[in-house]
Amino acid sequence: MQSISSEQNLSAVELAVNETNKRFEEAGVTAEAGQHRSGRKFSFVQINCPPNHWVSLAKWLRFEQGVDYLSMITGIHFPLEFEFIDGQKGYNPGTPEKGWEVVIHLTRKGIKNPNVGEQTVINASKLTGIEIPLEYQISLILPQTDEPKVPSVQSIWEGADWNEKETWDLVGIEFEGHQNMMRVLNPHDSPLGFHPLQKQHKIRYHDHNEMYDDAQGFMRKPLDSDKKK
Amino acid sequence: MAEMWITMGPQHPMTHGLWTLRVKVDGETVVDTVPELGYIHRGVEKICEARDYTQITPYCDRLCYASAMTWAQSYIYAAEDLLGAEVPERAEYIRLISVEMQRIASHLMWLGAYCPDVGNLTVFVWCLRDRELFLDLLQELGGSRMHYNFPRVGGVKRDLPIGFANRARAKIEMFLNRLQEYEMLLDESTIFLVRTQGVGACKAEDMINAGVTGPNVRAAGVNYDVRWAHPYSVYDQIDGIASVEKASSNQGSDCYDRYRVRMTEMVESCNMILSALDSIPGGAETHYNKKDEMIYIKPPTRAPAGQNGFHHFEDSRGESTFYLAGGGGKKGRGEFPYRMSIRSPMFITIPYVAKAMIGYKVADIPAIMGSFDPCIGETDR
Repeated sequence: MQSISSEQNLSAVELAVNETNKRFEEAGVTAEAGQHRSGRKFSFVQINCPPNHWVSLAKWLRFEQGVDYLSMITGIHFPLEFEFIDGQKGYNPGTPEKGWEVVIHLTRKGIKNPNVGEQTVINASKLTGIEIPLEYQISLILPQTDEPKVPSVQSIWEGADWNEKETWDLVGIEFEGHQNMMRVLNPHDSPLGFHPLQKQHKIRYHDHNEMYDDAQGFMRKPLDSDKKK
Repeated sequence: MAEMWITMGPQHPMTHGLWTLRVKVDGETVVDTVPELGYIHRGVEKICEARDYTQITPYCDRLCYASAMTWAQSYIYAAEDLLGAEVPERAEYIRLISVEMQRIASHLMWLGAYCPDVGNLTVFVWCLRDRELFLDLLQELGGSRMHYNFPRVGGVKRDLPIGFANRARAKIEMFLNRLQEYEMLLDESTIFLVRTQGVGACKAEDMINAGVTGPNVRAAGVNYDVRWAHPYSVYDQIDGIASVEKASSNQGSDCYDRYRVRMTEMVESCNMILSALDSIPGGAETHYNKKDEMIYIKPPTRAPAGQNGFHHFEDSRGESTFYLAGGGGKKGRGEFPYRMSIRSPMFITIPYVAKAMIGYKVADIPAIMGSFDPCIGETDR
């Protein structure tokens, strides 16, 4: 199978990094070449963007750089300090400046509608410039807050719609301007403010040794077992 | 005529799993749809925050019961990106062989589930029969029939057994002959053609904007494939192309194109397996012991906070992506991931398809939905 070579990949990454830095220099957006550490050691574009410039960056990527595909939106919770529901202290890597992170994975695919009865067979080795498929990883960092908010890009990539729904549902990050926000994976009648991937929520076998010591859960007692009745 | 809402699911022959499609109909025409997911949400992402990098593999196997090997490998590549693991080339070849076998088995499962939807029960039985050929081969590798737990961070669990290559070649030869029988049965069946041709038109650009990938977008006439666009494994060293279909109308691809592209993809996967068996380093008839350096290199087991890894992978239903952030575990020592995020192709595809079927008849809903190969296990995770 003919595939993109590492020279093509490098040239595309350099081009994208330079153009992003040039265009968004004053906005505080920084782009750099990130490198995969596995297998082929290909590069990708890592962009750190202040959340208030995310929409303009997204529009520029979509309509001028040909980034036509939004793969995934991930929300991460970095609490400053917290207790689990059972009172145990949890470890937290959060800082006052970094309480939440939204990581967005984009890909440039360069897909055009073919004519009727035709097929576009792309010859990978002949692609140049902004035709070369490229991976982007965008990172939006939010400070410590109880109401994390980032702007929605639902109108730019249709594929962002359900990704944003999922991120709000599981992590609790709000997307301003998102139409029709709703629970998608949790039950529709989940309590307000319940977002299970926030760090204060603990799974049943949080410590994996707990699972091996008591695989069937026979030794677990109800929380009020030591009370006199 | 008054419009009304019909609820299809969670138990419905159309759904291929537990989910609900609420359909607003005007007479026989679909006017609006609302998909409802999440019936089998298991919280895999949360569970994996308390599991180390080897323990996560079986959970990823269980994301999709029809395509366990591709999901496990999808995770493995992201974990290797995070941990910076080296993989021997022979292990990459073995992974490639196993993942292409799984792709064939998955497409056969799709064809077997799709044809009863559009009125052809024979193919269901045939597909399950031929799927056994590949499940038997995968069982030789992983030891179980459905959830193999076969790839490891840094290699694979076992080497190819002695005689595996010969059995694989013989079975593939038989399977390629049988595939022609399938095509004779389906491409000349009036019922099948009437139910699929000109139904469920989708354009390539619309699909990619909505996040639909894989065979579904290749059916619309673009040969985009992660295997050559963001190359991983050893796909560039073996023969084979990404199968692509011609868009049959200016509305884009229909259900028949999506059927055709999966049929040619099975043939291409067979070619890739044969080519990989011929060119595997060390020879296909050699068997190395467990943890031999030809098939496994011990990887680092911890990733500090601040490191992350992601990988786009060509799953049998589209592009699956894993994102892993290091630094989890007790006191942040990094033995667990701090956050694992899964991008499931079907989670994004199902809402798109629900909108794409507006304007068609109620009877077309199973044909359109089934042609995109929905799998609810990975959708709800």
